[in-house]
Amino acid sequence: MEEIVAVLIVLPLLSATACLLFKAEALRSWIIVATGLALILTSLLLTAHVPFTYSPPMVFRTTLHEFIQIPDFVLMLAILVFGCRERSKTVICLASLQIVLVTWLELFQIQGVPASQAINCDHLTLIMVLIISIVGSIICFQAIPYMKNHEAHQQLVRSRQPRFFFIMLAFLGIMNGMVLANDLTVFHFFFECTTLCSFLLIRHDGTPDAVRNGVRALWMNTFGCVAFVVAMIVIHHRMGTLDLQEIIRTRPSEGLPLLGLALLSLAAFTKSAQFPFQSWLLGAMVAPTPVSALLHSSTMVKVGVYLVVRLAPAMQGTFLSQCVALFGAVSFLAGAALAVGQSNGKKVLAYSTISNLGLIFACAGLNTPEALTAATILIVFHALVKALLFLCVGAIEQTIESRDIEDMRGLYSRMPTTAVITVMGVIMMIMPPFGLVLGKWMAFEAAARTVPVIVIVAVGSALTVMYWARWAGTLMSDPFAGSFRIERQPALTLGALMALIVAAGGLSVAVPWLVQWLLILPGESGHVPAFLSEGGVLENAAGVFAVVPLSAVAIAGLLHGLWALRRARGARVVPPYLSGIQTGAPQIFIGPMQRLVKAEARNYYLTSLFGEKRLTGWVNLAAALLLILMLGSTL
Amino acid sequence: MSQNTDALLILAGLAAGPLIGGFVTGLDRIVTARCQSRIGPPLLQPFYDVAKLLSKEPLVVNIWQVFCAYAYLAAASISLVLFGLRSDLLLILFIQAVGAVFLVVGAYSSGSPFSQVGAHRELLQMLCYEPLLILVTVGIYLQTGSFRVPRVFAGEKPLLFHLPLLFLALLCALTIKLRKSPFDLSTSHHAHQELVKGLLTDYSGPFLALVEIGHWYEVVLMLGLCSLFWATSWEGMVALVGISYFLEILIDNTCARLNWRWMLTSVLAFGLTLSLFNLVWLTMH
Repeated sequence: MEEIVAVLIVLPLLSATACLLFKAEALRSWIIVATGLALILTSLLLTAHVPFTYSPPMVFRTTLHEFIQIPDFVLMLAILVFGCRERSKTVICLASLQIVLVTWLELFQIQGVPASQAINCDHLTLIMVLIISIVGSIICFQAIPYMKNHEAHQQLVRSRQPRFFFIMLAFLGIMNGMVLANDLTVFHFFFECTTLCSFLLIRHDGTPDAVRNGVRALWMNTFGCVAFVVAMIVIHHRMGTLDLQEIIRTRPSEGLPLLGLALLSLAAFTKSAQFPFQSWLLGAMVAPTPVSALLHSSTMVKVGVYLVVRLAPAMQGTFLSQCVALFGAVSFLAGAALAVGQSNGKKVLAYSTISNLGLIFACAGLNTPEALTAATILIVFHALVKALLFLCVGAIEQTIESRDIEDMRGLYSRMPTTAVITVMGVIMMIMPPFGLVLGKWMAFEAAARTVPVIVIVAVGSALTVMYWARWAGTLMSDPFAGSFRIERQPALTLGALMALIVAAGGLSVAVPWLVQWLLILPGESGHVPAFLSEGGVLENAAGVFAVVPLSAVAIAGLLHGLWALRRARGARVVPPYLSGIQTGAPQIFIGPMQRLVKAEARNYYLTSLFGEKRLTGWVNLAAALLLILMLGSTL
Repeated sequence: MSQNTDALLILAGLAAGPLIGGFVTGLDRIVTARCQSRIGPPLLQPFYDVAKLLSKEPLVVNIWQVFCAYAYLAAASISLVLFGLRSDLLLILFIQAVGAVFLVVGAYSSGSPFSQVGAHRELLQMLCYEPLLILVTVGIYLQTGSFRVPRVFAGEKPLLFHLPLLFLALLCALTIKLRKSPFDLSTSHHAHQELVKGLLTDYSGPFLALVEIGHWYEVVLMLGLCSLFWATSWEGMVALVGISYFLEILIDNTCARLNWRWMLTSVLAFGLTLSLFNLVWLTMH
């Protein structure tokens, strides 16, 4: 057990250092692949041991808590130094404030060794570890060919890949450490590490844009860290412990500890880029695509939702919990609305991440066993499918040199494999019986008793369908220029895409079993199960979702559709209707006065309703008001 | 429920769609014609139309459109079968949406601007009716305590008395779903001047027939949803559906087609307000 935990946290850090030391490209690639495979295997081994708690033995008479104090201060100083170097007053102020607060906490509050378990691993932790280790590793595999190509375009004198992979691999170790941590100080240390890592990754390319967006990510996340430290001070002041399990068991229902929980939720919202902190995640798309894939799917933004889902039992029955639910629902709606107004593919993905995370927060806030199950299912499938879509967009971008959805028109003729995989990703986002929609179904049924939440979420869901369907349609659209050639993709890219799609599809069918296994939710041992699952059918008093039968029908439908497709190959192909006599050329017809007319169509983006300029200000205002309500309600 | 009855219900659902859907469409055409002082086609005309389409030579614009037509039909029929099996209403709506999305993707896959604009408009229509349909099922849940259909039949008083405003919202959604004016923006039963046949412009021959049959399934599903509002007696169900459909025909014949902006703001504002009031009222009781 200790070995497993050690491998999960320390191995990525060691391999990361190796990447930094050995500059040879082949060697580095092997190190990354070996580390990834080792992580995947180890995380699977962990499934046999949950749940467990564990405290590492004293080394040189220091506990883990004392042991991380020095790196913690080094880290905070590093953030301060970066703030000075980039001349960002906001970062300098926030980083200094954080140092003062942590010093206060360590010197005046935490006296002696806090009696807490350092590591706690239950099913939620396990799921996070699996997501981080498996999806994270797959993204790192795909990053190998991607970065090679990326640097070939940049024509660098010296490769910056060692540094890049150093951070990528270290990120995985840090994430594993964070989700396993049970002591809030340890959690905070890793929390800060992710802030620094994301900053370094976002500004990796070093362009003015990258640096500016990196600094923005740094200050916003440091703001979250400050909220976290204040929460620790408040909680320790009243409860005398920073043990997560202890806090959840106590269930503070009022006063300062509840304020602490609200501040932790605020910190989680900044990490998960919820409104009004969304701009750091939108800015993160200047980084190479594997970075976006990593930040959006398995790491960084998932920290926030993990933290709130973890703390949900502690908030049960409080007004704070209702505020979190409402905030999440608004975020879901606003993210979806803003995504409708975007033609930039990466921005659509970014807003959809914010929107989906909002739904997960809403579930955590609803705080019933059904809602928490929904939240966990959504976390799993969002990680898989979003990683898939980002990797697809990365591959598309490197080929067509654009990330605009309009430029992806007829992509099927240029990159058939990638286009079909992307469309499958989109289908997994919005269609049953795939996991995300199953999670959404659970979330809706859980939200049905809370009228404001369900009304907001229902509109958000329709908007979600709108922007995904539009994108999928555009990818498969006419005119197909030239002849079809199956594009060549590096084996690692194709392998990564396939692995993700198989995992997302396979797990979707396995959800009834997954749910059964998940029934032990944090702090919820011995409760009534949220769903009964028998013979692949999920059901409770409120509803029923025949997962396996429906999947079987869906597969039969798919096969039948493909058979029809094959048979239709023999049919006569005709040009589309274009209000005139067709010429041989695509999209050109003979119009009035014998003139040649070129038919063109563009998608609706409805920017007058859903544009960033129109909505962002209002959404930020609404979110800020909700946050004030959330914090104020605990006082 | 035994497996035999399940199998029978599945078959019944599969058969009911095209049969009832076709007859309803035939009736609709006759009543509409009478409203316009015409005699109208024979009752079985929709069946003749589909049979003729099926016998035509298949022509394809984009091979994916074929797949989309099949997927639309599959999703529409599965949702009706699930309704027949008295499954989960929310799940049925989700599956119904799958079909709608495939229809749109199929239209997108053609390069014709008419198809493309039709597809966009169809998405806007979905944006209008989907939240309303979801909220209708939420209302049913709040009243009966479950999303499952059998619980509706267990009630003592018809749902209409508890969910009157939500029924109005459902009628709004029904107008869009039946492609009736003023909301027949993406495609319509009559000739469209500015959009040819919109969404369906490039579906042709047997594939258009599939789409038509899929539409029948959807019509029956929507009418089934309506009938749940008077689930205490068979006569009530039939009467409610008849009156609702007749109302739709009247609205169709008295309203002009409107633009999407108007549809989006008015339907969402009107429908959501009605639903919200009804849901809040339900939670109070």
